[in-house]
Amino acid sequence: MRSACDTTWAPPERADAVLPGALTAAEAAPAGSIGDDAPESDITPTRKSPDNGTESESRDGRCEVTSLFMAVVGQRVLISGMGGELGSRVASLLENEPWVESLEGIDGDPPRRRLRRAVYHRIAPGDHDRTVDVVTKFDPHVLVHIAVWEPHSRANPGRARLLTDDAATSILGAAAECRSLESIVVRSGIEIYGRARGSVSRPDESARINPTCGFGKMLAGIEYTASTIGTRIGVAVGALRLAPVIGPHVPSPLGRYLRMQAVPFSALADPPFAVVQEIDVAAAFVAAARVRLAEPVNVVAPGAITAFQAIRRGRRLPVPMLGPDWVIARGLSYLAGAPIPDHVLELMHRGRLANGSRALEVLGIAPTNSTSEVIDKLYSWPSVVHTPAREAVA
Amino acid sequence: MDRLADVITLPARRAANTLAGGARNTYGNMSEWTRGEVDDWGRDPHFVGRVWALSHLRWNVAVNGHRRLPKSGGALVVVSARRFAMAPVFAALSIGGAVGRPVRFVGRPDVAPIGPVMQRLGGLLARADEIAGALRGGELVVMGADPTTHPRHVGHVDHRLVGAAVAAGTKVFPAATASVPFLRGARVEIGPEVRPDRRRRGPLIELELADGLESAIQQLLDELGGPVTGTPLDWLPLSGIGGT
Repeated sequence: MRSACDTTWAPPERADAVLPGALTAAEAAPAGSIGDDAPESDITPTRKSPDNGTESESRDGRCEVTSLFMAVVGQRVLISGMGGELGSRVASLLENEPWVESLEGIDGDPPRRRLRRAVYHRIAPGDHDRTVDVVTKFDPHVLVHIAVWEPHSRANPGRARLLTDDAATSILGAAAECRSLESIVVRSGIEIYGRARGSVSRPDESARINPTCGFGKMLAGIEYTASTIGTRIGVAVGALRLAPVIGPHVPSPLGRYLRMQAVPFSALADPPFAVVQEIDVAAAFVAAARVRLAEPVNVVAPGAITAFQAIRRGRRLPVPMLGPDWVIARGLSYLAGAPIPDHVLELMHRGRLANGSRALEVLGIAPTNSTSEVIDKLYSWPSVVHTPAREAVA
Repeated sequence: MDRLADVITLPARRAANTLAGGARNTYGNMSEWTRGEVDDWGRDPHFVGRVWALSHLRWNVAVNGHRRLPKSGGALVVVSARRFAMAPVFAALSIGGAVGRPVRFVGRPDVAPIGPVMQRLGGLLARADEIAGALRGGELVVMGADPTTHPRHVGHVDHRLVGAAVAAGTKVFPAATASVPFLRGARVEIGPEVRPDRRRRGPLIELELADGLESAIQQLLDELGGPVTGTPLDWLPLSGIGGT
């Protein structure tokens, strides 16, 4: 029985009529074949053949992506982090997927948009017992784990690490107890590759994982936990390694920083970086759940931009920094309401690029908004407008 | 009455207007210069264009054999390099100008501020995985052999970097560069594709391909005959100018 504090937005009949034939031919058309380079990452392709059993894996590890696009109808999908902007957007898209029979989500905060079919459970990240109870009762086929707190997005770095660890431990652990589980898709980031001196400028999925910031280490921990569980229970584990996510309602420390009126940037380096918009990320999560992603994939908007170029595009005042003055800049930025976490500081000094070409091969989709377009949109989204009350009501 | 009024513009005001116009133009130009964007690898085409135009003041580079390069898709061009001549950089710029495609070069440092500036020019780190990534992405990449002091001798070609082209399955071309330190003329001669003599399953193919490239570049350098200044300096066996 569902607990009394569970908030439910679902209609009484949860099993909507599911259309036969998962996808159209047009959706399957862009599929190619997965490359033959096995990625060296924590997530190993431990693909468990799903019930549909349509994969044809040959001896050298190649498999036809076209078969991956055929999802079986009547699937139960669980989303962790459904309350956030990204989670609720993914839930909204999954509601329209014909292969999804029922959809449930867990988060500490309610979803930010109206959901028609999804069932939401309000559970704090550390509440392991209730998490296990809800997850095992739902017995999902696919788990989409989005419950990741980016430092200084909605919580300070220490709190963000704690919440992320709690959520990963309880949700992934609970999912491991579900007998129907076939696939786990986790949210990761390109921070996982690190920006150590001499490291690859634009790593692809086969690059060595060597995180050099706190957020990167958090993400590496999630991938490791998921891959360990996947190996133990024999389910496919995929990871979407996202570029910094920016969107109109996404609490992004980078977006907040770039939108300040005066923006410090590294005058000596001003390296390039890439971002991705949240609508493209949500579409990537849906595609990953549909194809039962079993490997890490970078999700990066095409193109790149430097901080100075971004500042100029946004008509902000560029403030050149040479090195030690960054300490003062961080303090002032914190006071201005845009604290700079270490992974954003690393981005400003060392840049952050990644090769996202594999997403099209594996997921069948690629981000449509380029990095420059996302940055332009960042500056065109309206700010919070504080409107005073017209008359005193109390 | 055929006119309404006579307006007298004071010289000071005219000067102020001129200055304001100049400032506006400068700001507009600066905005245009700084609003550019970089590509997936951090190369800034506008910046490259300006550097290329500026380099014409110093160099007049003739490129031959660029029609051998593929019109699309990746390819690795290995050039001879003389010490301190930055041959891969000017070869990449000149080949890029000749083929009308972005051309990357290998060998940027990863230290600010030189590294980021060279990244804007299309520089890649001297890492096999970085080169392989660019080649798989369909990029033209120029890398240099080890630099030598003699302009008609080719240095060692790093087989690990050449192995990136083998891994990516792209074509490899030799190229010879020639320039004179105190003259404007320079030349880049691209030779035909080098293929390994025999099929190998292991890493020997990289070694043999690197050896083949060294031979091909040396042959191109011999055919170039070395730079000629037209002065008695050509008779000196020193500094590699003239003689052998």
